[in-house]
Amino acid sequence: MLGLSAFKPTGSLLGGLLWKIPYRLSRHQKYRHRQRLRHVDKVVDTLSSALSKQGVVVKGIERWKSEMPREDEMEARDKYTVFARNERKYRKGIHKVPKWTRVSQRINPPGY
Amino acid sequence: MQYFKVTLIRSGIGMPKRVNGILQALGLHKRMRTVYHPVSPDIAGMIFKVKELVAVSEVDYKLSQKEQHELRKPPKGYYVEIPAQEAGRI
Repeated sequence: MLGLSAFKPTGSLLGGLLWKIPYRLSRHQKYRHRQRLRHVDKVVDTLSSALSKQGVVVKGIERWKSEMPREDEMEARDKYTVFARNERKYRKGIHKVPKWTRVSQRINPPGY
Repeated sequence: MQYFKVTLIRSGIGMPKRVNGILQALGLHKRMRTVYHPVSPDIAGMIFKVKELVAVSEVDYKLSQKEQHELRKPPKGYYVEIPAQEAGRI
């Protein structure tokens, strides 16, 4: 009954457990992620330079600039993984964070 | 007068209500929409809240929505000759 059977051999049916989200990023995902980080840096720079010409200070932007590392200052570990309480070694890939391409996640708890 | 030229390049779909509210307040109703706002601390704060979704540059002009739309139009492919007399060449 080739081709007529209802059984369709898919990865999850044959093997059981199938991880749909790979545990690490591909190098192309990493590249695009770096571009996004740089883009956010650029937006913040534009805002603060435009405001400094007028001589005004916005507290939130100043705080970001003092606390958040720029893309080139970040370690690879912080760029591509985040702290996760329930994971082995307390780290998981940043691509497991919901909406990870549209949120900023740069710093992690000290010591982790 | 200096303006922020703000373009929404990432959609706000699925983002928290406050983020989408800020996009609405800035006039960014759909992707690739460009708006101009004067440089001021309150506008800067709003843009800062949605910094992952927008592209920003500082410019010294402000375009209306119609002028902004004209920039996207392809060239017509032809032009109308002006008589030499009218153009002041004779």
